[in-house]
Amino acid sequence: MHPFQYQRSESGSQAVAIVAKDSDAAFIAGGTSQVDLLKEGVHQHSLLVDVAGLPLRQINDFEGGVRIGANATNTEAAYYPAIQARYPAVSEALLAGASVQIRNMATMAGNPLQRTRCPYFRDLDQPCNKRTPGSGCAAIGGYNHVHALFGASAACVATHPSDLAVALSALDARVQTTGPRGNRTIAFPDLHRLPGTTPHLDTILEHGELITSIDLPAFAGRSHYLKVRERASYAYALASCAVALEMDGAKIKRARIALGGVAHKPWRATPAETLLAGQQPTEKLFQAAAAAAFADAKPLEHNAYKIPMGRNLLVRALLETSGLQPLQGPAGTAFAASVGGMAGQVATPN
Amino acid sequence: MHNLVPALQPGDTVPNGPLPDGSTLFERRGRPIILAFAPTDWDPAQAYQSAIFARLSQEFGSGEALAEAAPEAWHSLDYYGELATHLGVAGQRALLLLDEAGVLRWKTVVEPDQEIRPGQVLAALQALRPEPVVAPNLATTGHEVLTGGMSRRTFVMATLAAAALLALPSVVAAAPETTSPSPTPTDNRSAMLPVELNINGKSHHLQLDPRTALLDALRENLHLTGTKKGCDHGQCGACTVHLDGHSALSCLTLAVMAQGKAITTIEGLAKGDTLHPVQAAFIKHDAFQCGYCTPGQIMSATALLADQHTRHGSAVEIREAMSGNLCRCAAYPNIIAAIQEAQRG
Ligand SMILES: Cc1cc2nc3c(=O)[nH]c(=O)nc-3n(C[C@H](O)[C@H](O)[C@H](O)COP(=O)(O)OP(=O)(O)OC[C@H]3O[C@@H](n4cnc5c(N)ncnc54)[C@H](O)[C@@H]3O)c2cc1C
Ligand code: SF4
Ligand code: FES
Ligand code: FES
Repeated sequence: MHPFQYQRSESGSQAVAIVAKDSDAAFIAGGTSQVDLLKEGVHQHSLLVDVAGLPLRQINDFEGGVRIGANATNTEAAYYPAIQARYPAVSEALLAGASVQIRNMATMAGNPLQRTRCPYFRDLDQPCNKRTPGSGCAAIGGYNHVHALFGASAACVATHPSDLAVALSALDARVQTTGPRGNRTIAFPDLHRLPGTTPHLDTILEHGELITSIDLPAFAGRSHYLKVRERASYAYALASCAVALEMDGAKIKRARIALGGVAHKPWRATPAETLLAGQQPTEKLFQAAAAAAFADAKPLEHNAYKIPMGRNLLVRALLETSGLQPLQGPAGTAFAASVGGMAGQVATPN
Repeated sequence: MHNLVPALQPGDTVPNGPLPDGSTLFERRGRPIILAFAPTDWDPAQAYQSAIFARLSQEFGSGEALAEAAPEAWHSLDYYGELATHLGVAGQRALLLLDEAGVLRWKTVVEPDQEIRPGQVLAALQALRPEPVVAPNLATTGHEVLTGGMSRRTFVMATLAAAALLALPSVVAAAPETTSPSPTPTDNRSAMLPVELNINGKSHHLQLDPRTALLDALRENLHLTGTKKGCDHGQCGACTVHLDGHSALSCLTLAVMAQGKAITTIEGLAKGDTLHPVQAAFIKHDAFQCGYCTPGQIMSATALLADQHTRHGSAVEIREAMSGNLCRCAAYPNIIAAIQEAQRG
């Protein structure tokens, strides 16, 4: 591990000031992503500024929605009653991610800022433009089964691994930040970038810009998160989707869909959203929407399997969210989010 | 294999000894040299042909000097040979860097099964690196002493030593990521920090490198070895402890960041000779084979039973809540049975 200095920050503005003037400095909160990457030598920061002690841990009702402090843990947010009841997609995405221990440590700001799980990004002997700009991309001619279908570039084909980010994108959450140039609000779907020619930048955050909260706007509809993985628990998504539906009587007033595991950021399926608006929910409609969502997919050598997988997943998520098909487990739990249930069983809590 | 020769430390003057070409260490003084103790089938040439070497020399701008200095500075030695015994590294893969005065500047001993990451060696080199020289004409003489007390020539040798280290074949091939060796050049230390940890109700004062994970502080500094190191990367749960009553991974927690929290380890569960009910249930249900994952399993299980969201869970929910703890012996059914027994009280 690269030697680093450690400093606990006294205030958000102090943390911002310190990191902003040191290009090698970085924030650390729960540490579950940062410490792992420091150990791997992928991150080589010379100064870590600990923001975990800042008073940013509150979760409050806010403007008809919920304001989640940056330092609230993934566990605290997942079980917060108003979130579990009114934004089940958020709780489902959180509880179907990582493990209990990791969720107890991981923060709500740190989670969407975790780095890609592209295996070459972590292998220091392989070229990777995200880790070492200009070195090349080992995934493009390599084994790319976990890589992107949408929005990739000739420089990087990685996907973003966060489950939470997919749910926050579908719900149009807002990210509050304070940075070297003051405060701002970022619409969640704008937080992450596409790789383009600068894949080392995952988000639009400036160096030293601190997330202070994530706000869920008022929302009266239904939401749901669904995830496929290589084993029943404690694994990243191969593909996932979050759906937010607002109904007008028997018709869909507005649908928002974000796809996970298929792009450098949560991928909003705008063509499918447009197709669903004003329609009566039926399985046939949902199949048409799923076809539209994946019409522009550009598979690599080893990831074309994600197209039918993603389409089927989206159809099922829409059926379950609209109530045409029952959820696999109680809303707002890992069991609702998990395709195939836990260890081959359907959940029967208590 | 035990050796009785006291190990040399950086800063020590290396005693004389024979080199394979018939010369002696003392005769070689005046130029930095590298002694590489390796299995006999190891070819040092691959060190300066490797991609890692190219990267290191690019990183440190020492490429040309290196290429020309390399071959004659190299001494590849049998790690069971006379000099190995003489220098206290018999039977170990080791790299020693001696400066012009015959003083040991960098020594790295690679334990069996250890893996060295390029980032670690890069970091070691960063720390050794002389500051850029102000007067360029000085830089050409090759003998000037630079900031950090090491001549450029010796530093160039350190770069080469690092490349060699990374090219030691069995080092790179060794798979388990269970140890975090650090090369030990003279001053590769982050500033030590005073750290106060509250563990099992007792306060401990330590001086730690900020890089120290809580897991390593527990095991290496405090000899609380009940907490296990499995993967060291958050993937297995063997290192699970409680922080303020919630389960957490000590391998991904920096020790400095655990200050002010109540830390509970497996050693803190029993009350005297009375086992915690979960411990007793694990024994009753034979919930382990090799036992390596067991402390982590028990820490997760006790946290699960203390948590209102999981304490009344069905078998399926227990499985989900325990999914962060892997068991290579697959004692899972017995582990679930033990937890259910403890759940019934
Ligand atoms: C074995 C394993 C399995 C996992 N499985 C999953 C999974 O299935 N699904 C999933 O979604 N995730 C998974 N994760 C990832 C985990 O969710 C993230 O590591 C975690 O959420 C990161 O949060 P943190 O607080 O620990 O972040 P840190 O590690 O502390 O920080 C992460 C990044 O965020 C930055 N940062 C932190 N706080 C702020 C702030 N307030 N403002 C600006 N920048 C900030 C840091 O500088 C750093 O770059 C897994 C992790 C592991 C180790
Ligand atoms: S896909 Fe991106 S992260 Fe993966 S190797 Fe290529 S550049 Fe690196
Ligand atoms: S040692 Fe494997 S999770 Fe910490
Ligand atoms: S008992 Fe051997 S790993 Fe679990």
